[in-house]
Amino acid sequence: MLIKLIRFEVISKKEFQMIDITGEVENAIASTGLQDGIVFVSTTHTTSSLVVTEGVECLERDVPEHLERLSPKNPPAGSNWGWYHNRLLDFDGRLGYNAGDHIKSILGGIQCFFPVENGAMVRGTRQRIYFCEYDGPLARTVLIQVMGEGKQ
Amino acid sequence: MKGGIDFHVHPVLIREMIRKYPELAAACRETYYCGNAFQPLEVMLAEFDLVAIDRAVLLPVDATTSRGAKIYSNEQIAELCGMSDRFIGFASVDPHQESAPQQLRQAIAGLGLRGLKLDPAMQDFEPSDKRYYPLYETAAELRIPILFHAGLSFAPRSKLRQGHPTLFEDIAADFPGLNIVLAHLAWPWVVEAVALAIKYPNVYLDTSALYFDNPYDFLSYAMTKQVPLTVFERTLRKQIVFGSNNPRSETKTMARAIRGLGFSEDCLELVFRVNAERLLAGERAC
Repeated sequence: MLIKLIRFEVISKKEFQMIDITGEVENAIASTGLQDGIVFVSTTHTTSSLVVTEGVECLERDVPEHLERLSPKNPPAGSNWGWYHNRLLDFDGRLGYNAGDHIKSILGGIQCFFPVENGAMVRGTRQRIYFCEYDGPLARTVLIQVMGEGKQ
Repeated sequence: MKGGIDFHVHPVLIREMIRKYPELAAACRETYYCGNAFQPLEVMLAEFDLVAIDRAVLLPVDATTSRGAKIYSNEQIAELCGMSDRFIGFASVDPHQESAPQQLRQAIAGLGLRGLKLDPAMQDFEPSDKRYYPLYETAAELRIPILFHAGLSFAPRSKLRQGHPTLFEDIAADFPGLNIVLAHLAWPWVVEAVALAIKYPNVYLDTSALYFDNPYDFLSYAMTKQVPLTVFERTLRKQIVFGSNNPRSETKTMARAIRGLGFSEDCLELVFRVNAERLLAGERAC
């Protein structure tokens, strides 16, 4: 059984940004020698997510814009108390005012996985893996773990 | 609008400097008290780009006597300024040390730094005490501004009373040729800080105040309700500088908040750029 964990850094340059990391995941699989098994991809952050969708520029706009509508940075109109997260986080020495971005992360999900067959990730022809930034610019860490049978 | 200046940035999270000087990590975590992840320099610059901030004033604090730590030495600030022409470095000296005025001269003349940062609450000194006047005289002679922490501080052991704006009145009165900036709108004493700035043309305020809610809601409260926005727009338009207090508050959110308050475009130009440039040039407000 082959199990390996790879960490890599994604640097976002915008507040909202969808960054295609499919190539990094494929390269990571190749570097481990995994032949048949599974690959897990996960973001280590709570204001980002990993989503799988078609790799087109229009969706790279639509997805974060819709998530912002669902979970806006500023408290939604009509809420009695706004975001409770808008307060001093004494363990951090600063305020939390990104509750909307945390909720985007929950909505988007922080992980995805794909089967691996004959050393290649098995995915639909339109499917791409995106790191989704909701509170950039920031340097972010993505985890890739492979599990299965290596080369004989 | 031309690119702005963020007059209040603490470079405590810059990863390149943490890797080179590991002691800065403890200064960030324990003395300054910030738990966020260290980030590459390019991330800070990218954030500035998002909100048309061209340059940033980098602030150290020499708390050797009071905390046994420096949150960046003057040499480290100068080194960081060498890594990007978008940085404007300020010096800090330990006011308890007799050599503080000489250290300040060296930082300005020898390292090319452009102002002095003092934090009475963290450095544990009474700013109006005459024993510190030689330091202020030196700053006046060098024609550099002093940026004082004022108001509430989240740093451990920093006492609220040492940030009260009236503690700075003697300095403003006794050194009319010295420009002083009271940081954070001296919150919660915004009214008192505004009163000082109205009375003394050499008193500036920076906008880096965020203590509850979010940047827009907080600044809307402090700058439209605690004091009407008209006072800043009409009376103090040449004495307000944009500051974010990055990384305790983000430059991006603070800049958007200030721009959203309802200032006229020409006043925003003063707040975001012109007033800071005049301070750095050693000019008087009026």
